[in-house]
Amino acid sequence: MKNLFKTKDVFHCAFKFDRKMKLLLSFYLISLFQIHAGPLALNQPISIKMEKVALEVVLHEIENLTTYKILYNDNEVDYKRIISVNYKDTPLSEVLDAIFKNTSITYETLNNQIVLNRDKSKTQASTKAIPIRVQRSITGIVKDKQGVPMPGVNVIIEGTSIGTTTDFEGEYALELAEAGSNPVIVFTYVGMKTVKKTIGQQSTINVQLEEDAQSLDAVVITALGIEKEVRKLGYAVSEVDAEEVSVNRSTNFMNSLQGKVAGVNISSLGSGPGGSSKVRIRGQSSISGNNSPLIVVNGVPIDNTSFGTNPGSTGNEPGTSDGGVYSDGGDGFSSINPDDIESMTVLKGATAAALYGSRAKDGVIMITTKTRSHGQGIGITYNLNVTNHTPLDYTDYQYEYGQGENGVRPTEANPTSGQWSFGEKFQPGMTQVLFDGVEVPYVPVYDRIKKFYRMGLDVTNSVSVSGGREKGGFNLSISNLKSEGITPNNEFERKTVSLGLTQDLTPKLNVNVHINYSNEENINPPNVGQQDNTIPVSLYNMSNSMPFDLLDQYKLDGNGNEYVYSRFRNRTNPYFTLSEQFNHIKRDRIFGNIAAKYNVLDWLFVQGRIGQDYWSRDQQYNGFPTGQASRGPAPQGFVNGTFTQDVRKFRETNLDLLISASKDFGEHFNLGVNLGGNRMFRRSDASRVDVTDFVIRDLYTVQNGRVKDPTYSLSERAVNSIYGAVDLSFNDTYYLSGTFRNDWFSTLSPDNRSILYPSVSGSYVFSNDVAEDSNWLTFGKLRFAFAEVGSDTDVPPYSNALFYNIDPNFFANSAGVLQPIAGAASGTLPNPFLKPMRTSELELGLDLRLFDNRIGLDFAVYRKLTRDQIIPAQISNTSGFVNTLINSGESRSDGFEFMLHLVPVRSEDFSWDINVNASYNKTKVLSLLTDQPGDRILVGEHIFNGFLYQVVGEEIGQLAGFGYRRDEQGRKIFGNDGRALPSEDIKLFGSALPRWVGGITNTIEYKEFNFSFLIDFKLGNKMISGTNFNAVRHGLHKMTLPGRETGVVGDGVNLAGEVNTVATEPQQYWEVVRASQLIEPIVYNGGFWKLRQITFGYDFKKFIPEDSFFKSARLSLVANNVLILKKWVDNIDPDSFAFSSDNVSGLESTGLPTTRSIGFNLNCKF
Amino acid sequence: MKTIKHILLFLVLLGLTVACEKDFEEINTNEIDPTAVDPVSLFNNAIIGTSFATGQLKYDAAIVQQIVTPNSGLLTGGNHNQDNRFASSEVWDDYYETVIKHTGVLINELENRPEYSNLYNMTRIIQAFSFMVLTDSYGEIPYFEAGAGFSSQILLPKYDPQSEIYIDLIQQVQDAVSKLSFDGENVTGEVLYSGNISQWKKLGNSLLLRLGMHVSKVDNALAKQTVQSAYQGGVMESNDDNYVIRHDNNFSNPIGNFLNGSEANNFYLVDTFVNFLNDTDDPRLGSIAVRYMGAKSGTEQIPENASIEPVDQIGMPMGHDNSSIGEAVSAAGLESFYGFSQVDRTRMVKVDAPMYLITYSQTSLLLAEAATYGWISGDPSAYFEQGVRAHMELMGDYDSASAIPQANIDSYISNHPYDGTLEQLYMQYWVSCFLNGPEVYANFRRTGYPDLTPNPYPGQDISGDFIWRITYPSSELAVNKEHVDEAVSRMGPDDLNTKVWWDTE
Repeated sequence: MKNLFKTKDVFHCAFKFDRKMKLLLSFYLISLFQIHAGPLALNQPISIKMEKVALEVVLHEIENLTTYKILYNDNEVDYKRIISVNYKDTPLSEVLDAIFKNTSITYETLNNQIVLNRDKSKTQASTKAIPIRVQRSITGIVKDKQGVPMPGVNVIIEGTSIGTTTDFEGEYALELAEAGSNPVIVFTYVGMKTVKKTIGQQSTINVQLEEDAQSLDAVVITALGIEKEVRKLGYAVSEVDAEEVSVNRSTNFMNSLQGKVAGVNISSLGSGPGGSSKVRIRGQSSISGNNSPLIVVNGVPIDNTSFGTNPGSTGNEPGTSDGGVYSDGGDGFSSINPDDIESMTVLKGATAAALYGSRAKDGVIMITTKTRSHGQGIGITYNLNVTNHTPLDYTDYQYEYGQGENGVRPTEANPTSGQWSFGEKFQPGMTQVLFDGVEVPYVPVYDRIKKFYRMGLDVTNSVSVSGGREKGGFNLSISNLKSEGITPNNEFERKTVSLGLTQDLTPKLNVNVHINYSNEENINPPNVGQQDNTIPVSLYNMSNSMPFDLLDQYKLDGNGNEYVYSRFRNRTNPYFTLSEQFNHIKRDRIFGNIAAKYNVLDWLFVQGRIGQDYWSRDQQYNGFPTGQASRGPAPQGFVNGTFTQDVRKFRETNLDLLISASKDFGEHFNLGVNLGGNRMFRRSDASRVDVTDFVIRDLYTVQNGRVKDPTYSLSERAVNSIYGAVDLSFNDTYYLSGTFRNDWFSTLSPDNRSILYPSVSGSYVFSNDVAEDSNWLTFGKLRFAFAEVGSDTDVPPYSNALFYNIDPNFFANSAGVLQPIAGAASGTLPNPFLKPMRTSELELGLDLRLFDNRIGLDFAVYRKLTRDQIIPAQISNTSGFVNTLINSGESRSDGFEFMLHLVPVRSEDFSWDINVNASYNKTKVLSLLTDQPGDRILVGEHIFNGFLYQVVGEEIGQLAGFGYRRDEQGRKIFGNDGRALPSEDIKLFGSALPRWVGGITNTIEYKEFNFSFLIDFKLGNKMISGTNFNAVRHGLHKMTLPGRETGVVGDGVNLAGEVNTVATEPQQYWEVVRASQLIEPIVYNGGFWKLRQITFGYDFKKFIPEDSFFKSARLSLVANNVLILKKWVDNIDPDSFAFSSDNVSGLESTGLPTTRSIGFNLNCKF
Repeated sequence: MKTIKHILLFLVLLGLTVACEKDFEEINTNEIDPTAVDPVSLFNNAIIGTSFATGQLKYDAAIVQQIVTPNSGLLTGGNHNQDNRFASSEVWDDYYETVIKHTGVLINELENRPEYSNLYNMTRIIQAFSFMVLTDSYGEIPYFEAGAGFSSQILLPKYDPQSEIYIDLIQQVQDAVSKLSFDGENVTGEVLYSGNISQWKKLGNSLLLRLGMHVSKVDNALAKQTVQSAYQGGVMESNDDNYVIRHDNNFSNPIGNFLNGSEANNFYLVDTFVNFLNDTDDPRLGSIAVRYMGAKSGTEQIPENASIEPVDQIGMPMGHDNSSIGEAVSAAGLESFYGFSQVDRTRMVKVDAPMYLITYSQTSLLLAEAATYGWISGDPSAYFEQGVRAHMELMGDYDSASAIPQANIDSYISNHPYDGTLEQLYMQYWVSCFLNGPEVYANFRRTGYPDLTPNPYPGQDISGDFIWRITYPSSELAVNKEHVDEAVSRMGPDDLNTKVWWDTE
């Protein structure tokens, strides 16, 4: 019974609903105080026959036979004592009397609980000696934040030994003695914040308890769903309160966690609702591959494929990045409804995650969804969340010179400049002639973002019904999220149904089921991060005197084609794109698992589980609509345009088996052993047809296409694993754990297929030894951990051979006979000798709680070494191939992270909590193809300019490109025409990855009000800004203003070394960023400080009558992305990247403007 | 006991799990994509891949003053005599990643398989042609180790001196031609000549003739010997023998695509070229050119405004950018630069226009040169006439609306007999190589004709009068720098001024 704490319920993972179990734990506390309860006749007859079993087994059997729960303090009761019993229809009292005959144990009853104690006549004589005069009764109900009654809460009068516990309905009754002038009643419960109330003249005191993340006894879910007390862990984990993602929310719930978890770097992408969230834990270990954490839902991994954008990336992420469409189609997180989340744990280090072996390289995000209600009976929860999104305009363009080129404004029909603002200085009375001859004033047109985009709106409705009894429960929820993106034709809708069930079929067998279904539909996710065929780039570079109403009016010419408004035809009129281009994505996803757990013995259970994640995804889009000006005409008899139909299916099945044992040896030792195996099989396939040009205009179907290009691809992989863990503890002070996992990979050659991953960790609770009587040290722990994990995710299946494609179209030979054409399927040279990459990590940590938890510090320092990295090394294309995968790279991440929790004020009605988290991470590349400093590989390219390199001896993710050519004194060198010359060699500008990531949350609670705000930051990273690149060459950037009338004279020298005096026409001068790839002017510090979130909540508990069917109601006003406090980059939000891939980190290309969201969250329980 | 049973059961399950590794081979087998295909299909891919990329418009055609754009940025190159490595990498990337890759795989696999002897030797000819284009453009290039990524795992091939490359190319082509056998296998599936061995031999010899002529300045003896060998072997005898990629709507002409797409309004015929054709009453001007009369913008380049009359054609002068082109526009009395003449994208560079890589016309003109030197027998003026006539007759193959009536051809030929000067020959070669950038550029460097006025654009990256070489792609500098540096140490700097080996003073 007692031992189930340690390894209980491996599969359903929720810890909150196991309150009955925790009753035991709470008895450590209860037994310290006098329990006032009348003796109850235990005359129920029972029949029991057991031979030579531990006392606890007998007690457990009595529990099964009766309605009583037996509670005891295991320090007082020798529950391992071996006894035999044999009674038939004997009153329970007689049985108990016999069992405890000749011991000092007495028993009492409390409602339906039997409480065992040492003989109080001896141990608590002093307590009894105080005469107690009954004055009056205090009664009340204790509930949790959700309004669910809480059984087993300790209720005592401060400074006395008077106390009781709440019953299963959460009710308590207490007889108050004369004890001090102003008695205070204290409610305590494991894992919850202690509540104190002054009694005054009240006779009824109802309280709500809140979870206390800082609690020493808090239990977290670790790898494989094994629950452990935080105090025991030798490594860092972070628990996330479900409210962090459900109250102040975004369409991808992970985005709400930005700046909240130490060591976790989350970027929400500027790619519209339903888009991906880029999550990186403790930096980026892989030089060029996948760095996304594993997502585990209810103990089973689910797919987190991101269909984000990654143009220019040399990696092989899937993504939606072709056929003219570069939109973010979401990721694995985006199908989860935050209301279904019960708890989340982030396993940050390799040790924490080592039991996940090959998939744990980048940490694990473990999500537990709801399975049952927390109280008795049926409860209904309704949650409404409404948020409004305002697009933010950070452009600070010049509005002195208007549209035109080379200092001339458009004065005739049709030669519209459209995308250039190198025209004339605005003067009153000037006009410009646009399109087919419309003459309009030549004046600045401000607020392009507000003029084009609309307000976005997200509405989420979710209802859940849950029920629970002692032996089981369920939770069923349905939700609907409807999101209108800021792009006027973009809508995202997600419907989810989630069912959780748990049931004890027999006292020994528990079955647990989770099923989650989601249906997502994303209509017109915007094209982002591209130069051409995308709204944001056209819009951000639109001439600063272009009237938007005209642009809209003239989107089509007489034939229904795009009206050419700029000689730069690739910059499609945004209104044309809006009206003609479409992109529909639908995804159906069902994931879940069934687990059965059988308690073979009290200290041993076996669990089997089968889990599956299945999704199918349909996408249809016309990357280039018919009539788009950047496309050439179709052959006679056809109209131009493209259309793509893409259908993908994905299935991952996990079968696993676990044996878990935990046993005490003697008084001080505990040993826990877990052994398990897993078989993972994943299959994904994609059917796709691209067609070019059409027979019938505006009929976008594959049949209607002129050139049809069908492809089908299939990928399968399997990993078999065995794993085990041993946990040792001594005196609740010293803890040691070891784990191993061996994986076998189908993608690797037999020689390299089997990999063993070990880990070891330990902790020492020094406060037990040094601070018994300390009044300031509440808790102190030192911990260490070491682990080795790996990853084969960067080895695609079938990387061992060169494959060929048959071109879907034939080509006529000279005799006119059609002939097949074939070619190598890939530009990647196959390498059959790949092995998984390996990451080893050493972590040291300190956990300190001071002054009764008023100060808490959790500090971790780590060193992570990743070797045998699988690198798509760019090779000379003269070999015939562009790159090849090799096992070579090595990188080292050093960092630390801390969470500091301060409680400057804590009183009955008012509390102020400050949570500061920050992490510092620096990853250095130690070797690539060689370990020569300076050896480098290209991992990604910006669309037009700039590269992302990995360079030996430098920080990972080096942004690079041509800078200014400089002489020995550092002066810029200009050519004979006065234009800046590019450097001879490519220059490194610094790492694209932030060194510092963190946030500061202030939470103030006053009575029913709570208020919190979060300031977060990322610092120490560089970026190459594609938006500013265009703003410079199009004459919108303020840096292009000097010399508009006279020509720009660059500050530097000419080729002869003399001071440069040649004036250059500004448009030509700034064109060098494009023509010479001289991108130094648009390299920026990419850091920021943001006021990320504000939440203001009110709890209506005051207005809810005691016996109302209405249990609770809370309203929160939320604001997200409130303010940029500090940034270094011009014209954009540095956080608004559109790319999901690490291979294009820091290479900004215009995405959607970021939005500020303001809304409310209403949560009601019935 | 129960516990032990469970543990045993567990171990059995575990054993089963591990045993399942057996299906890993099956799981890791790609059932969709083939690992082997008919080599002819790969060969066809290589042949189609030799069609020139658009880089030839940005550099070659501009340097020899046939086609130019006033726009900078992406299109910069020969128009402003500036180094634009996006444009310069195009031929390189296309050829190495498609042609050299696939011919490399084929040569490696077919070398010792007699049943593929003809295919093998055809492949060598196509590969040699590609290497010639590459080395003519860039100078030293990876040659001996190129295209061997798959066969020999050579990831960073070394660069080879052009002199060595040329000697080997000549040998390879001679050897391949000699081994093409009428008794060998019949490669009817190949798209160039449907397996016609005699035409392949003629192609090989015509290529050899070209190779020989390219080295005439640097190694006259080698040139003479090579040209004679080619002539004796038998070169192209009619337009039917042309090395042409017959583009269709699926495999479209890269230049046609480009000039019908986003760059439709940006490239113009150079006045040098238009004036030469005009001054000589060359009927080909009417086949090549179009002018959109009075066009004030790209959108006004519509059929209603189009004129293909030679008399209406006005070429764009060299040396302008978007701002300074205004002067030229006023000087020509036009509404805008959109009113200059263009190569007609509805005829000669339509999307499915054929692309000619080696023609009977060019071959004949080279024979005229060889005959003038006395290297081969025959009447130079007959070869000359044959070369001019063949190109004029080819116009109709681009588009029926470009066809030149036989009478016009005859009258041009009789009005412009060969005067025996090389200049006249080279000027005709210049016209005959229109839209064959690499060859026209090579011949300009070799012969100095046409005698062009240097591009007057003010901001140039060159120190001499002309661009003498195309620069390496940035990607090579990034990944294969060591070998690039070796090449530079032999050849000279990787800039636009360094001359290739055969381009001596």
